[in-house]
Amino acid sequence: MDVLTGWWDDFFWGSIVILQVFLVALVMMVLFGLIGAAAKLSNSRIAQKLASAYTVIFRGTPELLVLLLIYYGSAIFLTNLFQLFDPSIKFVDIPPFWAGSFSIALIVGSYAAETFRGAFLGVDPGQIEAARALGISNFNTFIYVRIPEMWRLALPAFGNHMLSLIKDTALISIIGLNETMYAAEQAAGTTSKPFTMFIVAGCIYLGFSTVITLSVMLLEKRANKHLVGSR
Amino acid sequence: MSFEFSLIIDSIPKMLAGIGITLELLLLSMVIGTILAIFILLMRISNRWYLCWPAMSFIYIFRGTPILIQIFIIYYGFPQFEFIRESIFWPMLREPYGCAVLALTINNAAYVSEIFRGGVNGVDRGYLEAGAALGLSIRQRFIYITAPIAIRLSIPAYSNDVIGLMKATALASTITLLDMMGIARTIVAEYYAPYEIFISLAIIYLIMTWIIQNAFGLLEKRMSRHIRQ
Repeated sequence: MDVLTGWWDDFFWGSIVILQVFLVALVMMVLFGLIGAAAKLSNSRIAQKLASAYTVIFRGTPELLVLLLIYYGSAIFLTNLFQLFDPSIKFVDIPPFWAGSFSIALIVGSYAAETFRGAFLGVDPGQIEAARALGISNFNTFIYVRIPEMWRLALPAFGNHMLSLIKDTALISIIGLNETMYAAEQAAGTTSKPFTMFIVAGCIYLGFSTVITLSVMLLEKRANKHLVGSR
Repeated sequence: MSFEFSLIIDSIPKMLAGIGITLELLLLSMVIGTILAIFILLMRISNRWYLCWPAMSFIYIFRGTPILIQIFIIYYGFPQFEFIRESIFWPMLREPYGCAVLALTINNAAYVSEIFRGGVNGVDRGYLEAGAALGLSIRQRFIYITAPIAIRLSIPAYSNDVIGLMKATALASTITLLDMMGIARTIVAEYYAPYEIFISLAIIYLIMTWIIQNAFGLLEKRMSRHIRQ
């Protein structure tokens, strides 16, 4: 444990970065998932095609490939764009934090789109008809009837998506984000104790996934509260 | 920004030279991982705490951490110990190839055993009761009733897992292995043309995904012949 002296703060700040990436990517993931699900459920043929292309592409290519393509691709694009205005600029890139969060959100969002679509279709039509019969407006039906029901159906899969998201944050160290994995690599390089360092990083990730799993369990319990005893 | 097609045409054969390693990693870790998964599953559902607990912690640890860390622990971490460097496994663990196979296998085993457990839990109780009524032993019931149904139920999730595994093989490039991803990264570093190279590589991966998906689709169709009218 002595070798870890002096590295704790690196690991701590790395974990904070993971948490930040996770929260930013979570918001984006939900957004991409909802847009994808809405497009899949829409009546427009083009929107349906685009949404299924989105899911097929991001489910079938390695996460690392998507990450590198978005990071280096956007860097080349931006560098070229900025050089049009100021030829003295050598290199422009999106910070790894944003490129990374965007990429993993895009990947996991493609899975979430399918989950949200399934949950939307899984809501009992009788519930919606009942709301309509009670004279509740379409908008209020969506907010007060459809969303709470969807939420319950989508939760288990959504928990898995959050786990993928937290695990994918490790990849962002490859494009140079200062997170736990990056701290572990630095520490491993300096102390020549790579096993210890990577185990610490692994434990931090295990901690994050445990927290997510437990929170999802609690949320599921809460969401299914009204069903207890009715079975 | 230009999109050079000549570069794509030049680099696709170069990247395809790595498809062998990608497929080897995929097949080895799929087959060994699945065999390992069966043992873990049997331990997990054995109802004996000394078998159940190790299996549960194995699954918990390997599903709860990023596969990148597992690869790094095996490749960079293990040589820290003298006894590993002197063990008979050292020739395998010295090479990035062996480390990648080991990491992917273990990781895959954890996922697959959970998939199989889902399949086993999905088997209708009535079948097992019928089996018991016919005087089959517990072992016979597992082999002749539970296993075939559980396998059929597991196929869709299993095929997703194989696709996930194929995607994970790209991580082998982080420990200097020259699979398709590794070759692509070398070419990009040389020509700095990420669009051309990475997009063509993505298309190769998409084709592989498509093949895997359809192969399992056919298998599932074949295995559920008796259900369709």
